[in-house]
Amino acid sequence: MTFDEQALIEHVTRQRWYGAKSRDVAHARVLDSVVARTSEPQLVLALVEMRYETGAHDIYQLVYALRDGELELDGLADTTLARELVSAMRSGLTLQGTEGIVEFRPVEGFAGIGRELVETHSIDAEQSNTSVVFDDELILKVFRRLEPGLNPELEMLRFLTQHGFSNIAALGGWYAYSGGPLGATLGILQEFVRGGLDGWELALDELSSDPDRFLGRLHRLGEVTGELHTVLGSDSDDPAFCPETPSVESLGLLTATVDEEIERVFLDLPQDEEALEPIAGRGEEVRDQLRQLTHAGSTGKIIRTHGDYHLGQTMWADDDWVILDFEGEPARPLAERRLKRSPLRDVAGMLRSFAYAASAVQFLRGIEPPDDWEEQAREEFLDGYLQTVDSALIPSGQAGLERLLAVYELEKAVYELRYEVDNRPDWVTIPVTGIQRLIEGAATTS
Amino acid sequence: MTDQWFERDPQWFKRAVFYEIHIRGFFDGNDDGSGDFRGLIEKLDYLQWLGVDCIWLLPMYQSPLRDGGYDIADFFTIHPDYGTVEDFKHFVEQAHQRGIRVIADLVMNHTSSDHPWFQESRQDRTNPKADWYVWSDSDELYKDARIIFIDTEASNWTFDPVRGQYYWHRFFFHQPDLNYENPEVQEAMLNVLRFWLDLGIDGFRLDAVPYLFEEDGTGCENLEPTHEYLKRVRAEVDARYPDRVLLAEANMWPEDVVEYFGDGDGDECHMAFHFPVMPRMFMSVRREDATPMYEILERTPDIPRNAQWGLFLRNHDELTLEMVTDDERDYMYAEYAKDPRMKLNLGIRRRLAPLLDGGRDEIELMHAILFSLPGSPVLYYGDEIGMGDNVYLGDRDGVRTPMQWTSDRNAGFSRADWAQLYLQPLMDPVYGYQAVNVEAQLRTPTSFLRWVHRFVALRKEHPVFGLGTYEPLSSDNSKIFAHIRRWEEDTVLCVHNLARSAQAVQLDLSAFAGMVPEEMFGRTSFPPVGELPYLLTLAPRGFFWFQLREAKA
Repeated sequence: MTFDEQALIEHVTRQRWYGAKSRDVAHARVLDSVVARTSEPQLVLALVEMRYETGAHDIYQLVYALRDGELELDGLADTTLARELVSAMRSGLTLQGTEGIVEFRPVEGFAGIGRELVETHSIDAEQSNTSVVFDDELILKVFRRLEPGLNPELEMLRFLTQHGFSNIAALGGWYAYSGGPLGATLGILQEFVRGGLDGWELALDELSSDPDRFLGRLHRLGEVTGELHTVLGSDSDDPAFCPETPSVESLGLLTATVDEEIERVFLDLPQDEEALEPIAGRGEEVRDQLRQLTHAGSTGKIIRTHGDYHLGQTMWADDDWVILDFEGEPARPLAERRLKRSPLRDVAGMLRSFAYAASAVQFLRGIEPPDDWEEQAREEFLDGYLQTVDSALIPSGQAGLERLLAVYELEKAVYELRYEVDNRPDWVTIPVTGIQRLIEGAATTS
Repeated sequence: MTDQWFERDPQWFKRAVFYEIHIRGFFDGNDDGSGDFRGLIEKLDYLQWLGVDCIWLLPMYQSPLRDGGYDIADFFTIHPDYGTVEDFKHFVEQAHQRGIRVIADLVMNHTSSDHPWFQESRQDRTNPKADWYVWSDSDELYKDARIIFIDTEASNWTFDPVRGQYYWHRFFFHQPDLNYENPEVQEAMLNVLRFWLDLGIDGFRLDAVPYLFEEDGTGCENLEPTHEYLKRVRAEVDARYPDRVLLAEANMWPEDVVEYFGDGDGDECHMAFHFPVMPRMFMSVRREDATPMYEILERTPDIPRNAQWGLFLRNHDELTLEMVTDDERDYMYAEYAKDPRMKLNLGIRRRLAPLLDGGRDEIELMHAILFSLPGSPVLYYGDEIGMGDNVYLGDRDGVRTPMQWTSDRNAGFSRADWAQLYLQPLMDPVYGYQAVNVEAQLRTPTSFLRWVHRFVALRKEHPVFGLGTYEPLSSDNSKIFAHIRRWEEDTVLCVHNLARSAQAVQLDLSAFAGMVPEEMFGRTSFPPVGELPYLLTLAPRGFFWFQLREAKA
C-alpha cells in the first residue's frame, strides 16, 4: 500500500489525537505496517512518521482498513473491526512487519478475554488515545502518539496485577511494536468498570447532598492509596519498582526548584487583582516558609507512583474505589514519568483535589459546603492512608511527614496559581487560599 | 524493546548545554576513595536539575593513568576504579531516563605503551601488529612537527630497545601513535566506536584528531588523509547511529578547525571546540577591551548548517595558550599566572574562580559572554559552584580535585578514609569545601549555583543562542562587547561591559527602529529603539541581554 503523502498529512493532522498542531509538517511516511485482519475488510496497523520543519519527528499509530479495495484511513471508525485486535491478543499473535514485529499478548488468567464480543462502541475519554468498549466489559486503548519505551500504564497495571492489588481495572492484554524505528507499547486491553461513578463528579454530588457520607468514602480512599503505595514499594527484586533512598541533594533540589517557581510566578502575577489580595506581595514570605519546611529531616523512600493523582483519576464502583490512569502527567516525557518519587507527591495531589472540590461545588452548583469540610476531608484521607501505607516509605515522625507534604502541596498550589491566572481567573481563589494557609498555618504553629 | 529513548532530533547538540566530568573526582559510590559510575548515577538528579543536556566524560578506559586516562591500555574495558562495562551501560540508561545524553572521550591517535597492541608490535618487525605503530630506524623523519608537551618531551621519537627502532609519539613518550596508514588500524578503531555506540553512548569527544596521519615535510597536522578517515567515521555513524555526535578536539586556529566539519552540510565532525576564543575572553576582561573578542570572531569562518562550535571557559587541561601570539602569551602569564607554579606547558593550570580572583561579577560576566556566543557551552564540573584549585599538586591534578558536595567529611565526596582519597578536597579558607559546596549553595537563593541554574534555563528557553546568527555591533566605547543574535522571529541583543567601572555606550540600532528591547531576566521593557543611537548605561562588569520585540500597536 503506497500512500499519497499529502492525504496522509491531512488525515493525521486533522485527528483529535494529533498533538503537534502548531508545528509545520515537512514530510509524512509509513515506517512499517502489519495486517491485523487478512479477510475482507482488511485491518492494517501502521507506524507513521511525521517529520517537522525543525528536523524533529513524531511517530503515530495509524489503524486503517481496506474495504473492496477502498482505503479507509480511520479503520477504527468501524468499531467492530477493533475486535480483531482483541482476538489477536487472545491468540498471542506475533505479526512480522518489514522493520520489526508487533506482538499481541494476553494476561494469564484474565477471564474477560475468552468470550465472543458482540456490541462495540467508541468513547472519547482521552485526547491522546482512541478507546473502544466491548459489551460494556472490556475497553481497548489504542495509543496514538508513540513514545519509545515501555508505556507506564501497561507497566504499572501489570505490576499491580501480579502483586495482587485489586482496586484497578484489571489488565487483559496488550500489543507492542519492536523494531528499527522504535520499541513502543501500541495499546492495552482492560476490564471496563461498569456503572462506576467518577470520583470528581461523586464528590460534587455528595458535597451537595450528603457531605458526611463522602468523608467516609475518603477514609476508604486513603486506605486504598496507602495500599497502592505499599504494593508499589514492595518488590526489591524488580529494578523498575525497587524502593530507593533519595540522593542527599534531593530535598535541596526540590526546594530550589519550587523556590524558583515561586519567584517567577509572583513576578508575573497581575497587579490589583482582588482575588490575589491575600497573597499579593508575599512571595518572599512564601519562600521563607519553604526554607523552613525543608531545613532538615528524613525524606522516606522514593518509589514508582501514580504520578498524576487527583479525584478525577478515581472511580467508585461496587462499593469500593478503583484507581485509574497510571500514565502519569501526559505532558512529561515518557522516561521522566517512569522515575521514582516520594509517595507523598501523590498524597499532596489528592489533598489539593479536595480543595478544588470544596470550591467547585460553590462555583458550579452554587452550594456552600460545610465550613471545615476540606479540613475534615484531609484528616479522613490521611488517617486512612497512614493506617495502610508501609511506614518505611514515608518520612519518620509526624513533623517530618507534614513538612514534606506541605512542600509538595506548595509545589502543586504554585503550579495551580499560574494555571488559573492564565486560564480561569475565577478559580484563582483556590490556589490563593491554599498558599495563604501554608503561610499562615506556619505562623500559628511556630 | 530497543534502546531508543528520545524523539529523533538531529540538531540537539546545537541547543545543548554540555557538562564535563572527571569521573574519578565526581562522587564515590563504593567508598574506595575514587569516583565511579555508581556514584555518578546518584548525582544524575543534580545534573538534571542544573539543566545539563549532555555529559562529557573524561577517559574511562583501562589505563595505567600516566596521563589522566588519555593513555588507553584497553579500549573495551572500563577502568576498574570506575566500575564495569555493565555499570557504564546502566549509567547511560539512567542518564537517558532523565533526558541527559552522554558522550565520552576517545583517543584515536595513540594508545598507552601498555596496550597489548603496542606490546605485540614492539616484539619484532614481522609480528601481526608490527605495522600498527609508526616505527623508524632513525629519529630524522617528520622533523617539521612541533613538540606539544615541551615541559617533558625533547623529541617526538623515542628509541625502543626491544625492537631496536624509534617509535613516533606526538604526546608523552609512553603514548605511541597508531599507524593510520595501516587499514587494519583504521578498521580496529571503527570497531571501538561501534562497541560503545551499540551500548547506547551518544557520541565521542575525539581527542587529538589533527595528528592521525604523518607526512614528511609537513607539520604532520591536519593532513588530508586524516580528514578522509574522519569522513569514513562520520559516514558509519550517520548510517547506523542517528542523533549521535562527534566532537573534535583540534587546538588550532579557527580557519584550520573548520576543516574538521568537512564539506557541504558537514561530513566529518558535528562539533569542534573553538580554542582561540577562550584566552581572548580572559584577555578582554583583564584589559577592559573588547577588541580581542571581536577580532577572533571576525577571523572565525562560517561553518556548515549542521555543525556547531563547542565553547568553554575552563576544562580539565591547562588554560591553553597555544593559539595566541608570544606577546599575548606574556600578557596572559603576567596577569593570570603570577606564581610560576601556575604555568604548565603553554598554559595556565588554574580553575575559573581563582583566575578571576573569585569576583562574582567577573565570573557571571564571563558566563554571560560564553552563553551569548554562537556555539554550545561546555561547563567544567565544580565551576558552577566556583570551586578553586591547588597549584601545589603536580601536572593538572590541581584542577581535578574532588567535587565539593557538602561541608561534611571529605566534602561529601566519599565515605572512605581521608588518606584513601585519590586527591584530598580543597580545604583553604576561601575555596575549601567548608565555604564552597553544593548543599549550601542549593539552599541559598542568591548563590552562584542558583544563578547558573537560572542562567542555563534562560539560555535553553531561547534556541536563538544555539541556532542563531552572530552579528557584531560596533560602538563608540571599546570597553563594550555587544552583538546581535537572530534566528527565525527571535532577535536578541547582548551587551557586556568589560570594564571595572560603570560605562555608557551608544549603539547604532537603527535597523531595529521601533522595536522594544525587553530585558530577558526580569522581562522589563526598555524605551523603544529610535533613529538616534541607543544609549545604555551598564554597571561595572555588568551585562544586559535584550529580546527585541515589535512594539505593541
